Amino acid sequence: MDNSVHRFGEDRQRSRILAAIPAYNEAATIEHVIRRVRESLPDFDLLVVNDGSTDATGEILDRLNVTVARHLCNLGYGRAIQTAIKFAEKCEYDFLITLDADGQHYPEQVLGLYEASRAEGWDLLIGSRYVKSHDYSDSPLGRRIGMRLFSMLVRAIAGRRIYDTTSGLKVIRRPVFKVLSRWHFIDFHAEAIVYLLRLGYSIGEYNVTVAARTHGQSMYSMLSHIAYPLKTALILLLGVFEAELTRRKQSA
Amino acid sequence: MTVHGTIVLLIIGLALQLWILNLIRRDRLYAGYGVFLVTAIAVVMLVVAVPLLLAGVTRVVGAIFPVSALTLLALGFIFVTLVYVLTQVTIVSNRLAAAIQELAVQRAKEDAERPLARQAPDR
Repeated sequence: MDNSVHRFGEDRQRSRILAAIPAYNEAATIEHVIRRVRESLPDFDLLVVNDGSTDATGEILDRLNVTVARHLCNLGYGRAIQTAIKFAEKCEYDFLITLDADGQHYPEQVLGLYEASRAEGWDLLIGSRYVKSHDYSDSPLGRRIGMRLFSMLVRAIAGRRIYDTTSGLKVIRRPVFKVLSRWHFIDFHAEAIVYLLRLGYSIGEYNVTVAARTHGQSMYSMLSHIAYPLKTALILLLGVFEAELTRRKQSA
Repeated sequence: MTVHGTIVLLIIGLALQLWILNLIRRDRLYAGYGVFLVTAIAVVMLVVAVPLLLAGVTRVVGAIFPVSALTLLALGFIFVTLVYVLTQVTIVSNRLAAAIQELAVQRAKEDAERPLARQAPDR
């Protein structure tokens, strides 16, 4: 089979797994990432959320004949993930796997992540860089502090330690789609984890390795290093309250 | 500033914070705006609650009286208007984002189903 023309509808009867890649100005890496995903996960359907890219990302996606959800303007990472969740919900997928478009995730490891999620029954399984080593030293100081802080905050509030709260590699099970699209999250990181844990959903971590970024730059700018933790912490705390309200509504 | 005045201002500050937090919770106000507003109120409440700080601020800005009721009311009005405008901006941009997402999902779904339609027998 020619992988370059693989479209999601062709084997939809047997495959209910969607791999989704949110992309914003990732022309340098997106083609390579898509080819690797297709090679490593030929039975998975693929969706790229083009989040209003202004570089050649759109043209590359057209050429690769991949299913694309196009945002008319840049809505941000969180909204791109939410679009993927809405698509998965609408098309009745059983699993949604999210990967970053910068090539840092190894698609070869996704199969193991998915198998673990299915076998162990996690509602959300995170591809984690730190679950095995508990060592954040490969990250810049600012991020290291943030990741430790949010990891401890999640444990304090939800009673479970999640070592990699900012990983973009996740396997999300169908019952969680509606829950995640019902409320608003910043980037589906610590705030979504706490929200789901407080609602009683199971969240696990699976050890993965991550490549160093070779192109582009992190989505977190200098300003967002200050604004992001504050926004996330605020939504995280409000999420606890919202989850409690949701639980009461459900039980009533 | 009197104890009575301090208590009233702290209650107003607390009520404003709860209002803003509830707006964020209901997705009527961006968390980014919310952080700014909640922090601003917290700073004002701190200044009001600690007389030494208020006296310091009064000295720094060159005011004669620590509190001018008229100025306070004017500021309160501006603040409420600001929150209202930001709320409307948030609502409109949330609707716009939802429309963009819906359009993207719908087009992607149609795009993805196209090969199946092509393979379907002629009717």
